[in-house]
Amino acid sequence: MTPIAGGVALNMAFGFSILTVLTLIIYTRNGDQRLYLTGHRLALGISFFVFLATFILSYQLIISNFDLDYVARYSSLETPTMYKISALWAGQSGSLLFWLFILSVYTTITTIQNQNKHNRLMPWVIITLASVQMFFLVLTNFVTNPFMPTEADFVVANGNGLNPLLQNVTMAIHPPTLYLGYVGFSVPFGFAISALMNRDTSPLWIQSIRRWTLVAWLFLSVGIILGGWWAYQELGWGGYWAWDPVENASFMPWLTATAFVHSIIIQEKKDMLRVWNMVLIILTFTLCIFGTFLTRSGVMSSVHSFTASSLGPIFLTFVFFILVVSFGVMYTRMNDLRSPRKMESFSSRESGFLFNNMVFVVMCFAVFWGTLFPVFSEAVRGTKITVGPPFFNQINVPIGFILLALTGIGPLLAWRKTGKKNLIRNFTFPILSGLIAAIIFILIGLEANVVISFSLCVFVTATVLTEFARGIRARTNKFDESIITALTRMVSKNRSRYGGYVVHLGIVLMFIGFTGHAFDKEKEFSLKVGENDHVAGYEFELIRLFESERPNYYAWVSDLRVTDDNGNFVTNLHPEKRVYFHRNPDPNRRQPHSELDIHSTLNKDIYSVFSAVDNENGVAFIKIMVNPLVRWVWIGGYILVFGTVIALWPRKDS
Amino acid sequence: MDFVRDYGFILILFILPVIFVLQPLFLPNLGKQENPMDDKALKRKKLLIYRQIKELEMEFDMGNINEADYHATRKELKQEVSKVISQLTPKN
Amino acid sequence: MISGVIVVVIFWIGWVSSNPADEKAMATFVSVEGLIQQNIDKRTKLGGLVKDGSIQISETNHLDCTFILKEGQTELSVKYNRTRPDLFKDGAEVIVTGQYLNGTFYADELQTKCASRYEGDLRDKNSYNLTEIDT
Repeated sequence: MTPIAGGVALNMAFGFSILTVLTLIIYTRNGDQRLYLTGHRLALGISFFVFLATFILSYQLIISNFDLDYVARYSSLETPTMYKISALWAGQSGSLLFWLFILSVYTTITTIQNQNKHNRLMPWVIITLASVQMFFLVLTNFVTNPFMPTEADFVVANGNGLNPLLQNVTMAIHPPTLYLGYVGFSVPFGFAISALMNRDTSPLWIQSIRRWTLVAWLFLSVGIILGGWWAYQELGWGGYWAWDPVENASFMPWLTATAFVHSIIIQEKKDMLRVWNMVLIILTFTLCIFGTFLTRSGVMSSVHSFTASSLGPIFLTFVFFILVVSFGVMYTRMNDLRSPRKMESFSSRESGFLFNNMVFVVMCFAVFWGTLFPVFSEAVRGTKITVGPPFFNQINVPIGFILLALTGIGPLLAWRKTGKKNLIRNFTFPILSGLIAAIIFILIGLEANVVISFSLCVFVTATVLTEFARGIRARTNKFDESIITALTRMVSKNRSRYGGYVVHLGIVLMFIGFTGHAFDKEKEFSLKVGENDHVAGYEFELIRLFESERPNYYAWVSDLRVTDDNGNFVTNLHPEKRVYFHRNPDPNRRQPHSELDIHSTLNKDIYSVFSAVDNENGVAFIKIMVNPLVRWVWIGGYILVFGTVIALWPRKDS
Repeated sequence: MDFVRDYGFILILFILPVIFVLQPLFLPNLGKQENPMDDKALKRKKLLIYRQIKELEMEFDMGNINEADYHATRKELKQEVSKVISQLTPKN
Repeated sequence: MISGVIVVVIFWIGWVSSNPADEKAMATFVSVEGLIQQNIDKRTKLGGLVKDGSIQISETNHLDCTFILKEGQTELSVKYNRTRPDLFKDGAEVIVTGQYLNGTFYADELQTKCASRYEGDLRDKNSYNLTEIDT
């Protein structure tokens, strides 16, 4: 199989995408079933050719065919096979093809799954998805083609190889996970556009995308958490979130998507918020495309110019196109979107949801503003002002507290209107526990933000627990069941609801972890063998320092003995200083890398970085960070996944 | 042999999909298919309303909804579901 | 009510943008030449190359470090006393953030652009912006 076939497959896919859109648009006009069948098959054909192209590129990476520019840039003979495959999404053109690949997987599933369902909706769903595919096919065919031959008049003997920072299991699975999330929102977006085109705005279409939305949301969440985990494990600055433009790019669609996940519940149950849901899904999808643009175009990372890549203008045009077309169609359908029901009371579950939605959107706007602040300031004032984490924290910490509080308040409000009696009954226990916690935390002498955060965590946990308790009590009173049976039946009959509560618990645990950041301690020092230094109540003694050569790098390995204040042994840490490509004759091409070592407990992490080595004097430069409660961020992540899986688990009767 | 191998692939991978896609166009006219709400969609709708009723009952048991609202909404949903059932094809 | 919330939020975000609580929240990107000529004492960010042979590292704690940053023909002495990134060396392209005082730039952040091996590619590396986080 030659690389040329890959290029041809992409050409074919592009041609098919145009034909799909044309055929199905004609079908929606004249209703000839033969056209629908052809359009349907054309759509499957696009995906088939994309699969073929992706398969060919992966194969070229595995056999290390350096005649392809992409293979030569992102792979090398020494690269382990697993990372040869992950090189598929390491570079620009490959990752765009990979985006397209995932989109094609989703499109195929949607097309086949709904072959006989939603006959009215499907044509426009396919048209929308094929249009998105068309955009990425334009990019991979004409702008950055992954099948370009190497531009060299000699035979390329070995490729550049994959950056060592990316030679890490987390980093191999983080981009695909994130992409599965980003791309996943194309399907709900397609259904939304289709519902608009068909003037079908009943809650039924929402039902058919609920699960898709949750799957995409789950992948996006996991992708973001994995990204943080990777940064924490590999980059050595001791944190997991830096409000970096690329991180923000994934966080913004997450915020609107989270709002959407909540507000579709209202449309499903009450047939309200139709316009708002349309706005949210359009924004989410646009932000997913925009996020791909931010990560791929180099707009934010290039220091001196904004036009580092030809992709920028094309992506921005597409983003603009999506917004104009979607909101244009929505505007013409405003009459259909008018909801038959209205909000009745401020203290109702409905308005709680609406308020939570607004806060999510506000947070998204704040992040958007901060991310693009350098661009705005340069455009308006001519000076490029960069914005750092303190800015984002100042704005987002209070918003985060409001969201956390709403997580607790929302479930306690009754539909339509919460009576005074209900209000008092539902809120007494959670508010009391929050207040008692707050008093205890103040007495311990914690700072204001920490007190607020921890007390809110207690409050939300209390509300979730009361929700479970009230549900169980209602069942045991009615059906005479044991507590365990009541719990399992209750959860399995209301999966999205109780799964959602479990997700809320996960979020609470993550907030506990975030709050731990307030207590971080950090120190940098140098040690010879036998010397020691102290950080945050721990003693670090350098016991050994030795060199070691391994297949793809050379390492200086340290052996640090950690003891606590009382002289009790805690652990041994072995951070390493590595040089990758150490056999390369050109010293500029060898790449140093600090491999850190972490001793992690529920209480705190001891994080060690071997930042430099002085060979002549046998001195190691060590950076130690003691980061309390970080573990809870990851534990919260697991709980979040668990809760979402409960909500997603299919019911027998559907 | 190389010739057959290379071009065989091309035939299978590039020509067959085209034939597959064009084939429906040569079918006799299938006519226009009118799709009001088909049975499947209606059954699904019925199921959804039943679930809403169950959930409403649970909300009521938990005290999240007052008695008047509960009865009103329940009546509404019951009416809706009977409307859906009457639309279902009478064969079963 | 919704419009009221929107107005309040916009004012608040605007206010925070112009009066950040932490002086490290924002830094202005300037050229080395502009910095020296206008003697800017606000927090700034500079980009340039490390002059060959200019890196001096303290013998006593091995952390304090001075080097000369070159942007075009303009040179500026930079002091930095934290852990240096792996790719910091002669000729490396760096971005420093800090304050200019009496002819010396006191940096508290030092970021390196990536090694020539990945020249031009790293920006695209895996949805992660390494130049921004490789501190």
